[in-house]
Amino acid sequence: MIGRTAAEAISEGSRLAEFSRLFLANRSAMLGATIVLIAVVVALLSSWLAPTDYARTNMLFVWEPPGDDFVLGTDALGRDVFSRLIVGARVSLTIALSVLAIALTVGTAAGMAAAWNGGWIDSLVMRTADITFAFPELIIAILVAAILGPGILTVIISLSLVSWPGIARIVRALVLTLRGELYIDAAIVCGTPPTQILLRHCLPNIVPALIVRASVGVGFIVMAEATLSFLGLGVQEPLPSWGGMIRDGLTALRTDPHLSLAAGAALGTTIIGFNLLGDGLRDLLDPRIRER
Amino acid sequence: MKPLLEARALSVHFPVRGTSMSGDSRLLRAVDGVDIEIGAGETLGIVGESGCGKTTLGRAILRLLEPTGGSIRFDGMDVTRATGAALAPLRKSVQAVFQDPFGSLNPRMRVSDIIGEPLRNLGWPRPRISARVAEVMEIVGLPPEYASRHPHAFSGGQRQRIGIARALAPSPRLIVCDEAVSALDVSIQAQILNLLKDIQRDFGVAYLFVSHNLAVVRHLSHRVAVMYLGRIVELCDEGRLYTAPLHPYTTALLSAVPEPDPERPNRPVVLEGDLPSPIDPPPGCTFHTRCPVAKPDCRATAPALREIEPGRFVRCHFPGSFRQAEVTS
Repeated sequence: MIGRTAAEAISEGSRLAEFSRLFLANRSAMLGATIVLIAVVVALLSSWLAPTDYARTNMLFVWEPPGDDFVLGTDALGRDVFSRLIVGARVSLTIALSVLAIALTVGTAAGMAAAWNGGWIDSLVMRTADITFAFPELIIAILVAAILGPGILTVIISLSLVSWPGIARIVRALVLTLRGELYIDAAIVCGTPPTQILLRHCLPNIVPALIVRASVGVGFIVMAEATLSFLGLGVQEPLPSWGGMIRDGLTALRTDPHLSLAAGAALGTTIIGFNLLGDGLRDLLDPRIRER
Repeated sequence: MKPLLEARALSVHFPVRGTSMSGDSRLLRAVDGVDIEIGAGETLGIVGESGCGKTTLGRAILRLLEPTGGSIRFDGMDVTRATGAALAPLRKSVQAVFQDPFGSLNPRMRVSDIIGEPLRNLGWPRPRISARVAEVMEIVGLPPEYASRHPHAFSGGQRQRIGIARALAPSPRLIVCDEAVSALDVSIQAQILNLLKDIQRDFGVAYLFVSHNLAVVRHLSHRVAVMYLGRIVELCDEGRLYTAPLHPYTTALLSAVPEPDPERPNRPVVLEGDLPSPIDPPPGCTFHTRCPVAKPDCRATAPALREIEPGRFVRCHFPGSFRQAEVTS
């Protein structure tokens, strides 16, 4: 058997090329992608990029203003704010991506199980989702975090708990639509087990929608993590997080506003970056919107 | 001889929510007490107009729909409510070819994965699957080099060949063809029908061939069942059914087939009225509302499916009272 024919390679290649062309032409999506890329690179290289140890205190240099020695000055314990900001990117993104991975896995599995089986499984999953939706997400996260006690793991668990229902709902709706497809009937007739049908036939068809949902969702997760850390329920000292840095800077907001503002700017820019990327991807991957 | 597939009093009823405020739910009798048998290597054609339940019958036999009554036996085993391992013999030996060759192939899969799917489900090792895929592609007239392509690279007729290759791959004993050629051009239809015939000759597979097209069914079938409102109204071998139909509905259907001989202009019997609702079937004989020879008896009592001659079943109080001769003379 020969490999792919030239015509097919061209047609598949041109689909990718078409996608790249549209993506490059979408300025807000490109801006979002650039911001996200910078944040990810900074997070990955934080150990090398940070000029000093983020946890090293120096009582001789507390409340230093931004200057030559310290790009963004120092905090109440004499720690380098710029280094803490960079390491904070790693902490925030690690938490956000962990939550996203858990929420996507659990949400997809629950949504698929609900759509395929119907009956009490469907009721259980969807009523649980409804209950979660009935409260503001952040309130539930704060409640769970307060029960579990502060820490990174707490942040991941509580934010995963409020993030999966949205994904489960989308997946359920998409799988219900796909169930009507004739090729799903064909798979049932030739004996494909349900899990295989869901993974091989359904999953590839819902991935574009999940990518869009995920890139928009990251923004919320980053902000929620900052909120929990701001309230002292999240990342604990000496590990920096943007939310915690905003809180630490509040006491000196009048005299040294840069402490809170630097972390706030990093947080805001990252969230905007993810949202722009998500909106851009939705425009490109959802054909109904693209045709408008 | 034991039939390969046997359906007894098979029914598929769907609950329909009442339109009235009382919210009472009624039943849509899509398939209502159907008895069929298919022998090994035989083709049973099912004909009828849209909404007569022929597709539902096929889907029930494939266990894509749960039968609400009656039984299905495959090779002597009751598979009416079988699940899991008990359903495995049916899933191996009964395959399907669907109407829409565009919808029945997953656009994201390669042809080799589509045709190999039933074999993977049987736990075949990869090299054996590739060999069998190439073999069945050859049988259905597709160059095996095309195995790595996606369905969008093929025409409608070629896609239907892919669907047939998938059905044929696990060497089934029965293939349910649901309007398998209706979506194709007439010239392609003939090719596909001949392919199905060759496959039957070479491999002895049986077909349940569902179609609204009488000519297509005749070309392929040994026996033909005519369905009306979820029930079989006439069932016999292809020769007698097409030359001397006994049920007035069959007569009317046949008269509507265009006559290729210009010297003999065909005069179709135009049935009055629409197909009655399967939610509210008429009392007595369900066909009496449109029957050209209905008598008062037909409104009162429902006729049973009777064996009038050996192997010839008709559901009519007055079989043969409405003959083709009266129409075409």
